[in-house]
Amino acid sequence: MSKVNDIAGQVLRDMFSAATTWLEKSSADIDALNVFPVPDGDTGTNMMLTMRSTMEEAYRAPDNSASGVAHAMAKGALMGARGNSGVILSQVWRGLAQGLDGKESFNTRDMAEALQKSAEVAYNGVSNPVEGTMLTVMKDAAKEAQAQVEQGEEDIIVLLDAVVTAAGDSVARTPRLLKVLKDAGVVDAGGQGIYTIMEGALRFLKGETEAMRLRKPQIIVSDLPLTLPLPQVAGVDEVPFGYCTEFLIKGEKMEPDDIKKRLERKGESLIVVGDDSAVRVHIHTLEPGNIIHFATKLGTLHQVSIRNMDEQHQDFLEMQKERMPATDTAVVAIASGDGLVEVFGSLGAAAVVPGGQTMNPSTKDILQVVQSVPSENIIILPNNKNIILTAEQVQSLTEKKIKVVPTKTIPQGVVALLAFDYETDFKANVDIMEKALPSVKTIEVTKSVRATRINGLKIKRRQPIGLLDDELIAAGNTDLDVISKILGKLDMKQAEVVTIYYGEDITAEEAENIDTSITEQYSNLQVELIKGNQPHYSYILSIE
Amino acid sequence: MPVKIVTDSVADIPPEVIDELDISVIPVLLRFGEETFRDGVDINNDQFYERLATSKTMPTTAVPSLDMFARTYARLAEETDEILVIMLSSKLTGCYNAALQSANLMEGECRIEVVDSLSAVMAEGFVVIKAAQAAKEGAKLDEIMEIVRRNLPRVDIQAAFTTLEFLKRGGRIGLAQALMGSILKINPIITLKDGLVKPAGRARSREKAIERLCRFAASYSNIEEMAVEEAACPDDADLLVKRLSTIFPEERIYRTRTTPVIGTHTGPGLLVVSVLGDK
Repeated sequence: MSKVNDIAGQVLRDMFSAATTWLEKSSADIDALNVFPVPDGDTGTNMMLTMRSTMEEAYRAPDNSASGVAHAMAKGALMGARGNSGVILSQVWRGLAQGLDGKESFNTRDMAEALQKSAEVAYNGVSNPVEGTMLTVMKDAAKEAQAQVEQGEEDIIVLLDAVVTAAGDSVARTPRLLKVLKDAGVVDAGGQGIYTIMEGALRFLKGETEAMRLRKPQIIVSDLPLTLPLPQVAGVDEVPFGYCTEFLIKGEKMEPDDIKKRLERKGESLIVVGDDSAVRVHIHTLEPGNIIHFATKLGTLHQVSIRNMDEQHQDFLEMQKERMPATDTAVVAIASGDGLVEVFGSLGAAAVVPGGQTMNPSTKDILQVVQSVPSENIIILPNNKNIILTAEQVQSLTEKKIKVVPTKTIPQGVVALLAFDYETDFKANVDIMEKALPSVKTIEVTKSVRATRINGLKIKRRQPIGLLDDELIAAGNTDLDVISKILGKLDMKQAEVVTIYYGEDITAEEAENIDTSITEQYSNLQVELIKGNQPHYSYILSIE
Repeated sequence: MPVKIVTDSVADIPPEVIDELDISVIPVLLRFGEETFRDGVDINNDQFYERLATSKTMPTTAVPSLDMFARTYARLAEETDEILVIMLSSKLTGCYNAALQSANLMEGECRIEVVDSLSAVMAEGFVVIKAAQAAKEGAKLDEIMEIVRRNLPRVDIQAAFTTLEFLKRGGRIGLAQALMGSILKINPIITLKDGLVKPAGRARSREKAIERLCRFAASYSNIEEMAVEEAACPDDADLLVKRLSTIFPEERIYRTRTTPVIGTHTGPGLLVVSVLGDK
């Protein structure tokens, strides 16, 4: 591949024009990444429209220098910016124009500086910068460009290649920085947009125009577990989102910073950018009238847009439903201990109701969660014999179809959930899950609350005792002693996997000792150790 | 002049069937860094996995060039007036688009129809074989198109993975992302629906994964064709074939290895069952 040491205005135009076409192909996919409660539900479309306006102006620029084209792009972006993401994008171009100011062409060093400027200007445009968004992606991209220059890189393609990779990694990390993304299991839409634009520019420079015609940009996937948040406690008032209000003010001697200060308390997600003759405003407010009234005093208003975000939110929820895996059935599990809750979440439970031994949830608790899950058919896994009956009452209180798979222990709940088949219907799944229950044996280890005699065992207070499938069959001096006794009674030749969930009172070291002991004794087994953090039970073992 | 059938290397049709039915196969491209290979032509399965184990750069795949299609069309046009091209799911690659665009370049010389199988591997292959058999028996293009249309909804597929990491990295994971991030070690099971990757389920052990693939096949009451494919796990595939022989004659099960292109996106340990049949 030929080296590119230096880029002038014409190539700058062409590369971002190609990038715009590239972005256009994935704008619908980027729209689909939007997450509640980010109400501008069309990031991909907004960025694409902003880029179109950016490039139209770039081709109108009479000046073919890099500086001339970049300034034209910045102007086009400001004039045509749509939505939150579009306005921030316009600041990226504004920064680039500042960085390339007066330059006929640019090399890697200039490019790194310009990207740095872009990131800075983008941060400054937003009144409350949030990490895990396109701002972070710009910052990380700029940082990588700087690192490449410090290594002496002179080929713009090599530099941009590294920058695109860094931007991609940064996009993949966004869910770690922003909880709403993590909860929805997606990456930041604006960050993805920035990545796609840079990737498009890179592909153009590499001469991959044919491939760009045939292919589509990739949406980056986060590698975090898709764990669903616990449903919100009832009684939380629904806060209205209000109106997403956007416009462009054209006037004279305007001061964007001043305007920003005046609007700061009038709403959320405020962005004010521009110069003395054109200022773009984006704000989420309950009273758009007041904002417009204030703005008309400063100049003439253009491209005024006021959208009802509550309505958008409804549309968004509908769209979310379509994005869910193709099943009309959701599983609600009952468990306590954050480790166990995560296990169920990561295996696809739609929600987990807190509860278990000595803290049985009420029918109402379960009902609330059932109602909050966006499916009409719900399978409940009680995971405790004392909760089965409570769970069965839920059906009489809801229009939804409810089936209770009578799981008596956590391991039974896990095998039931694992058996879930996305390709089959509600009834068949209930059947498959029930049939899976006998395939697992459960050992629970706890401490006796009082001295007693039961099943021929003499038990002292606080002594470790063990239950096999809910029946007390062993007592011992230590937890390991109890576990060994019970394992000795089972036909371990049939077993494949042993999972040890250790409780909140157990240290990792203690648990590892148990793990080692079982692994040594039963070398043919796959043994997995999980921090379940459950109360009361020091250990829950699943033998499959 | 019989209709000529064209497909891609991902359809995994065994070489002897390709020869017998005179099917033209366009190889998908495979890249290790700067080196480009034509799938199944310049690199075979063994060479691929050997390289995968030693290479520093991870392979990527690329759509065959328009030229590769155009040359195949031109060669076939000397022998026939009708060509049917069956490609793997347009939602997973640009192959279908490339096949279509190259066909447009040939305007007038020969009638070329391009069909999106919305599928891959032998599930796609079964339909290609059906088309090629009909072509060999002298069916015209429109009749063959009808056969293809009738049979595409009859193919189904489930695959057990050891990891979804490769699928994710290649950007093909789709809704099967739901199977990622499990705290317990699982064998994800996926399917293709409407041309896209979808989750089918999870299995706790390899043994259970094989059981599930059997259950999937057994959910078909009338099975016309069946295939078991693997990527670097022949023993598991043998075991699966043995289990499946209780519901379908063992000698009729196509037992093949997926191409390196599929291996690139799934990683080793892939086990796939494809069926052509009715529930």
